[in-house]
Amino acid sequence: MITLEHLYKAYGEKTVLDNVSLAFPAGQVTSLIGPNGAGKSTLLMCIARLLPANRGRILLDGQDIGRIAIADYARRVATLRQVLDFNLRLTVEELVAFGRFPYSRGLLTADDQQVIDESLDFLGLQPLRGAYLDELSGGQRQMAFLAMTIAQRTDLLLLDEPLNNLDMKHAVQIMQAIRRLCDEQGRTVILVVHDINFAANYSDHIVAMKGGAVHSHGPIAEVVTQANLRALFGLAFEILPSAHGFVCNYFNPSLSRELV
Amino acid sequence: MMRRVAWLLLPALALAFLLLGSGMDFSYVIPKRLVRLGAIVVAGVCIALSSVIFQTLAGNRVLTPAIMGYEGIYLLFQALLVLWLGTASVALLGAQGNALLSIALMLGYSWLLQRWLLREGRGDVYRLLLLGLVLTMVLGTFTQFIQLKTSPGEFSILQSLGYTSFNRAQPAQVLYSGLLVAAVALLVARGTRVLDVLALGRDQAIALGLDHGRCLRLQMALIAVLVAVSTSLVGPTAFMGVFVANIAYALARSAQHQVILPLACAVAIGMFLLAQLLVEHLFNYRTSVSILVNLVCGAYFLALMVRTRGTP
Amino acid sequence: MSRVLLPTLLLLLCGVSLMVGASQMSWSALWSASDDAWLTLTASRLPRLAALVLTGVGLSICGVILQQIVRNRFVEPATCGGLDAAKLGILVALTVLPGAGASGRMLFALVFCLLASLVYVAIIRRIRFTNLVLVPVIGLMYGSLLSAIAEFYAYRHNILQSMQGWLLGDFSRVIEGNYEIIYLILPIVVLTYLYAQRFTVLGMGEGMATSLGLNYAATAILGLVLVAVTVSATVITVGATPFVGLVVPNLVALRYGENLKRTLPIVAMCGAALLLACDILGRLLIHPYEVPIGLTAGSVGGVLFLLLILWKCK
Repeated sequence: MITLEHLYKAYGEKTVLDNVSLAFPAGQVTSLIGPNGAGKSTLLMCIARLLPANRGRILLDGQDIGRIAIADYARRVATLRQVLDFNLRLTVEELVAFGRFPYSRGLLTADDQQVIDESLDFLGLQPLRGAYLDELSGGQRQMAFLAMTIAQRTDLLLLDEPLNNLDMKHAVQIMQAIRRLCDEQGRTVILVVHDINFAANYSDHIVAMKGGAVHSHGPIAEVVTQANLRALFGLAFEILPSAHGFVCNYFNPSLSRELV
Repeated sequence: MMRRVAWLLLPALALAFLLLGSGMDFSYVIPKRLVRLGAIVVAGVCIALSSVIFQTLAGNRVLTPAIMGYEGIYLLFQALLVLWLGTASVALLGAQGNALLSIALMLGYSWLLQRWLLREGRGDVYRLLLLGLVLTMVLGTFTQFIQLKTSPGEFSILQSLGYTSFNRAQPAQVLYSGLLVAAVALLVARGTRVLDVLALGRDQAIALGLDHGRCLRLQMALIAVLVAVSTSLVGPTAFMGVFVANIAYALARSAQHQVILPLACAVAIGMFLLAQLLVEHLFNYRTSVSILVNLVCGAYFLALMVRTRGTP
Repeated sequence: MSRVLLPTLLLLLCGVSLMVGASQMSWSALWSASDDAWLTLTASRLPRLAALVLTGVGLSICGVILQQIVRNRFVEPATCGGLDAAKLGILVALTVLPGAGASGRMLFALVFCLLASLVYVAIIRRIRFTNLVLVPVIGLMYGSLLSAIAEFYAYRHNILQSMQGWLLGDFSRVIEGNYEIIYLILPIVVLTYLYAQRFTVLGMGEGMATSLGLNYAATAILGLVLVAVTVSATVITVGATPFVGLVVPNLVALRYGENLKRTLPIVAMCGAALLLACDILGRLLIHPYEVPIGLTAGSVGGVLFLLLILWKCK
């Protein structure tokens, strides 16, 4: 669905994306993982058209995204970044309603109202629809923002570290919602995530980046291996399969000693 | 080295101010200028000392008494006096009475501010700054409102109070103010070590055995006196305090108040002299000291704010 | 305040505003169609009412737009340098083109205000900080600097005295034939209401706005142009009226939130009501003389602003 061709981005002397060529599969959940400074967020921002690349092309269904109008792009690609400084006094419902902006530019139709209701239902936010955002907890706010992105009804969703600062329960809820978006509605989701376990258990496809280049990519079974993760993160991993998926353990001191 | 230059420059500027264009008229022009020079020196010392000490107490390099509303309150008070007592108030109180009342008022305001500073601790500097700026604006509108109700004669008196000018001060006033400020400066000079410790912050100062509350009150009282004197001598000076203090820190390159305070005085006096010289000889009176100082110091303050980027 | 209460209050204030004034005027005189009464009404009171309402509405809407563009609650024409830039523009117009009428001067004010706002927004964007208070501080300093430049300029051209006088907001200047420029605010209000959603999206930040398909730069510049036109129209007709654009949107947001589609009419009406109340107060305090609106709005607005700062930054 999204194809990157020789993408290159640098800030002065520092190269952030080094000749990245990649194809993201449609209708699947892809996680971008890697150490800090690997260029994951930068890559996502380039696809979202929030950052211009110095060289290279990005194709959406074969079309160069640089040629698509802003309003059209908003109907095909929705982005959610970390929202640290959002201080508008809106209710949850009003916020989600803005997800319809690319379609109705502010004049909500009955269809729009239905989409808003469905988006709120999807994440179980109906009881909170009249609450103001600044009265909610961090996890609830993040769900509200996700609902807005869902209401945009795009084929592609880009999420930049959606689980930051969330407690376990809300993190699980968000990942479950992402999984359902893909399974039930056939949407493509690309997300940057730090927690290797969430990435491993909820995605179909993983792209691992390091130092501005693609380190490895492919289905879970190929990328989430001891050898690969050790090369990527510089940590010793213990990969434990279970009936419910698998867990990557890098916490134990004995593991840390393995590295020495 | 820079300091030596600064110290040499000062007497040179003073002499230039006194003698340039005076035609060596020792009977009229030069004595008048001497009075103005006296006002400049006293006011400069007041501004420098009050600004540096206030910044030490508040723990940042952005706030000064002028910004925190001292001058606004002073002007409002003068307007109220004129309203209640008319121009007769000047005769009634005499310059000394007015000065004493003003000092009392400033002391009261100091006490109020000091209670807040003690409670807030270092707090959010910029919130205090915004409060100070808006308070000064509001006090300004109140003052203007009172000016509306006064007669034209009284109005012009009040108008002139609102601008920085060296021409207002009477010789007697300069003399008494000078004596008062000299006393204050002596007190300050004896306590520079205390100021150095205060600069470390409330907790650290107490840990080092200083009676923080008492020291704070004393210093704020001194600041009140200094501000009252400078505003009554030459009028409000707005952002000049910030400018003087920061330049002094840059020149001094030492955290010791023993070094910073005299340097700040030199900078303040030098700046006044320079402004006056520019007005007289470069701009030919097509501008005023007030405007020049506002322009330069305001621009500097804006640049300072933009550069600090929200980290005090 | 329900949907009925606010408009009723507004109409009431309008009625009172028409009745209060230097010359005595009673309803009986109007009914008996006395020439004097009608003249007062049409030449002075009605234009004044129109100017009051439009200024109140215009300035509070300006405040809202600026707050969305800069993403800070405490921004408005007086705290972003726009008001001072407009004053400087008028000064320059007076000296450079002394023959130009009100429209010529307004054009100068407009250009200066727009340029100053653009510079301000550029400064704020270059510095990334989330400190609520620093943004208006910089705006106030920027405004003082522009004021200082205006003073410098005025002093050189010997118009400092008059500048003080007629640049302060004063509705007594408004008489028929002298104020029509303020009607420019009407299309701006309509346009802002039509674009209310866009301005809310603007307030969500560049990232989110782009994700939702809004052309951020174009909308921001449009907003700044609307603000510049309104500010210059009000400064030319009435003079500088600070704090209205700051206090009203903040108070309305506390109660009704910031979904502009819903709250813009409320903001507009509250702005008009506040200005009407201040004006009536100003006309009654030292009757038959009046306190200029610049002072009443400055004091009331200033005190409210102080309270907002104290309360908001706990």
